[in-house]
Amino acid sequence: MSFALRLMLRDIRSGDILTLVMALIISVSTVTSIGLFIDRLQLSFEQESANLLAADRLIRSDGVMPVEWQKKAQNLSLKQAERTSFTTMMFAGDTLQLTQMSAVTDSYPLKGAYLVDDTLFGTGKNSTEPPKPGQVWLSSRLASLLNIAIGDQVEVGEARFVVTKYLVRDPGSSASSFSISPRAVMNIADLAATQVIIPGSRVRYSLLLAGDRAALNDYEDWITPQLNDGQRWQTPTQKGNRIGDTIGKAESFLLLAGTLAVVMSGVAMALASARFVKRHLMQVAILKTLGATPRLLMGIFFVQLFILFIVGALVGLAAGWGIQGIISSLLSGLMSTTLPEPSISRLWLGLATGFVSMLAFCLPLMLRLINISPLSVLQPSAKIEQNTLLIYCVGFAGMYGLMCLYTQGFLLPSIMTLAIAGIGIVVAGLGWLAFRLGRSLTSGATSGWQIGLASLYRRLIPNLFQLLIFTLIIMLGLILVGVKSSLVADWQQQLPDDAPNHYLFNVQVDQIDQIDKETDQLGVIRSDWYPMVRGRVISENGKSIQELYPEGTDEPDLYERELNLTWASTLGKGNTLTSGDFTADGLSIEQRVAEEANLSIGDKLTINIGGNIVTLPITSVRTVDWGSMQPNFFLILPKEALQDYPANFVSSLFIADDNAQPFYKAMSQFPTVSILNVGDILKQIQTIIGQLSQAIQLVLLCILSAGALVLLASVRSTLEERLEEGALLRVLGARKTLVQQALFVEFGALGLFSGLIAAAGAEACLYGLQVFVFKSPASWHPLLWGLGPLIGICVICAIGIFASRTVLKVPPMLLLRDL
Amino acid sequence: MMTNTAIKVSNLTHTVTSNTGDLTILKGINMEIKEGESVAIVGSSGSGKSTLLGLLAGLDVNTSGDISLYEHAFSSLDEEKRALIRGQYVGFIFQSFHLLPSLQAIENVMLPAELKGDKDARKKAEVLLDKVGLSHRLTHYPNQLSGGEQQRVAIARAFASSPKILFADEPTGNLDEENGKIIIELLFDLNQSQGTTLVMVTHDNQLAKQCSRQLIMSAGQLAEKTL
Ligand SMILES: Nc1ncnc2c1ncn2[C@@H]1O[C@H](COP(=O)(O)OP(=O)(O)O)[C@@H](O)[C@H]1O
Ligand SMILES: [Mg+2]
Repeated sequence: MSFALRLMLRDIRSGDILTLVMALIISVSTVTSIGLFIDRLQLSFEQESANLLAADRLIRSDGVMPVEWQKKAQNLSLKQAERTSFTTMMFAGDTLQLTQMSAVTDSYPLKGAYLVDDTLFGTGKNSTEPPKPGQVWLSSRLASLLNIAIGDQVEVGEARFVVTKYLVRDPGSSASSFSISPRAVMNIADLAATQVIIPGSRVRYSLLLAGDRAALNDYEDWITPQLNDGQRWQTPTQKGNRIGDTIGKAESFLLLAGTLAVVMSGVAMALASARFVKRHLMQVAILKTLGATPRLLMGIFFVQLFILFIVGALVGLAAGWGIQGIISSLLSGLMSTTLPEPSISRLWLGLATGFVSMLAFCLPLMLRLINISPLSVLQPSAKIEQNTLLIYCVGFAGMYGLMCLYTQGFLLPSIMTLAIAGIGIVVAGLGWLAFRLGRSLTSGATSGWQIGLASLYRRLIPNLFQLLIFTLIIMLGLILVGVKSSLVADWQQQLPDDAPNHYLFNVQVDQIDQIDKETDQLGVIRSDWYPMVRGRVISENGKSIQELYPEGTDEPDLYERELNLTWASTLGKGNTLTSGDFTADGLSIEQRVAEEANLSIGDKLTINIGGNIVTLPITSVRTVDWGSMQPNFFLILPKEALQDYPANFVSSLFIADDNAQPFYKAMSQFPTVSILNVGDILKQIQTIIGQLSQAIQLVLLCILSAGALVLLASVRSTLEERLEEGALLRVLGARKTLVQQALFVEFGALGLFSGLIAAAGAEACLYGLQVFVFKSPASWHPLLWGLGPLIGICVICAIGIFASRTVLKVPPMLLLRDL
Repeated sequence: MMTNTAIKVSNLTHTVTSNTGDLTILKGINMEIKEGESVAIVGSSGSGKSTLLGLLAGLDVNTSGDISLYEHAFSSLDEEKRALIRGQYVGFIFQSFHLLPSLQAIENVMLPAELKGDKDARKKAEVLLDKVGLSHRLTHYPNQLSGGEQQRVAIARAFASSPKILFADEPTGNLDEENGKIIIELLFDLNQSQGTTLVMVTHDNQLAKQCSRQLIMSAGQLAEKTL
């Protein structure tokens, strides 16, 4: 034990152990910092999204929830709030207005804040507390419809309230509920006094929860089996919601980036170990002649590896923590919000990486070291070549295992592994051909070109390996660049800066011209007007919906409620036809809804529109980009079917912040028009995208610097050989420039080949990633083809210069002595 | 005078498989070396001398026949046991010195004793390095020493475990005449003062003659040389 330690301490001076520890530190710290950073970003997204949900988690129910649910939350020390939403009549003197009311507990909202104002149509200030008992907050539109102001009284059912604020935004009101009625908030303490909730009322109860993740997860596990059809468990980053999708894509990307870090670290570790083993083979053989038994050697190496692991892991974890702190503080200048603290529990990822790396990349090589025959001291040719294939297999398996651990799935690692294996084979083949060609074109050794190209072929195996490493690293870099640009472009395309942030509903035909005039005056960008008629699907292929989906069964969205119907002669913005004929005399249905209700072209739907019954076949299916924030519809009918009904019109607009006040003022002339502001959600999404772009850029930088380190390590591993050779050439009388030129040619050719193959590989991988992982259309990346070879030649030649400098600086004598 | 048998070899044959097919390096070798003898093995390059030496020291397992060191038959031992025998009985000196490059001279000499867990390793090493005339270069690394100096460190290291048998494979092969002489003198001095059995492969006839016995190796077969 102490002997092992002493032996290692002495060895540290030679630098090998240091290289190994450095590689371990790099791998652990890269993984740790990325892991922690992703974790912080995720927490941050969750928090931002929680602001939109007003809670970390939410249970929505059509009926009153059992009291045990609250008790359970209490037991888990979760914060709770309740919200009860319903539609009711509000009275102010003689005027009355249907109102979307929510009654909330004092603890509401758990996350985020109300936006309220003292002036009508103001832009609002934050309030984290709801109205006090006896008070009510009204949206500006509701106040103007009722023709009242702050201080006035209103009646809801049997209770009276004083209006104290104008409500601008309710944090829990998601944009998806396109409720037409204007909103109001009251305190839940007053709810009983109103007596408006009677058996049979349509009421939506929500129990909001907030607290630490573990408790929330426990709660989820406990509650999920108890939920019935009318009850939903909601999380801030639910699938299908836009923010969730955006984060999901970003998460895949960052995990991919993390995976790449693992690959790089693995290569660095393997390189360092290989170098360590190569240098120690003879030493171990000597120790064996001196009487060291295999068991003793095994013990020595285990102790050494263990110490290395401890040192590397601890320093790596600390460094990783530091790096991630630096990244976040750099980012905090760019981000609007500060990131939450990383969770210490994430550190295990770095530890696991370090451990698996040791097992996969060091141990097999070390065992090989122990198995060396002592005879090789006398007979260098007798070095038993161990099963090298096995070593590669173990390394590969370790790498794959780490990737799976990282992405918690098999798809991404499999794609990556296959890609790397494919690249390996291609690189070996092409490299061999290229080196051979270079060799046959130049026979003789009189110029640097000839020597350089010749030595490429002579050191075939190490050079092919190096070519592979260069190629992989350049390729990874190019993939990251490609993925990043296509991801960001994809997002920006989906959400331009002037994406509509307001919707106008309930607009009458005769108001359209006036509103157009007002908005034109303000310079507001507006979409087309879509006529909108309310209707309900009552039967499918002649069978009534009630029969098909009796009370209590989970009916599809299409049948659940009254729909907004429209007519159009051409396909609107954000719509893509997937099958059928849009202009045919029938229904056009949105794809997701059609799939949910199991409908296809030819099926007949019967719709009740204001008491009139229409039956139409489905003649086309569309996909709708809900992210486009254009007015979108599940069903589009032919014009003839709807034109006789009184239609309201709907439109979407983009209103800049400084335009908001005048716009709201102007719209107060049209008190019957509903305005839905989705700007907050939009801004949230845009902030997140902004943060992600920045984060990705930084993570990219980290990965690339890890890559550069691996590059350097791999050049170092053959540097000695090149140095010896350079010295030998100089001893034989070669001029310095010749040696230099030869090195340049060798590295330059390596760089060029790697760059070219890398560009091809990156293009192929990007195709796979775009199509299978990110599910976005594939595109061509001409930039890569220029960037790849250029980076290859520049970077690898730069290292070449570095190397040649050493070759030329060191007196040949010293090198020969070191042999 | 009753002398013990240090090494006994009977019907030793050694065959290796290389990529060009099986190659029999040693064919039916029989010999016996008594304690305290000094034996020189001479012969042309490639005749199998190093292989024989390695097998005698238990660095590898022979294909057939028996080798025993002080009644310990290698064929019945595994690598673990053979290593223990090596540590106990054998010292080795190589043509290309084979010092550990990452260790200082003194640390190289300390190794055998340390492997046995000897607490006085440093003391003993200092004494030995003094004997080979390198007491002023204890903390130098191998690449800071000349070939002759490196071989002297190697000799000190070989004697550090107080071996009963010392194997030397062309110990002067990489040295000039001057240094070669110093090494030979040291070798014989230490050999005599410690009562070690010496088995040495050499090309140097002069050196061979200083040994009490000479064996000639040719094409894998051994013959006694009679003067
Ligand atoms: N493990 C081995 N594999 C293949 N050939 C070997 C091996 N060991 C020794 N040889 C060959 O056996 C012959 C004898 O080697 P060696 O004992 O080193 O001879 P010497 O020391 O007398 O020069 C040489 O031709 C050598 O190449
Ligand atoms: Mg030899």
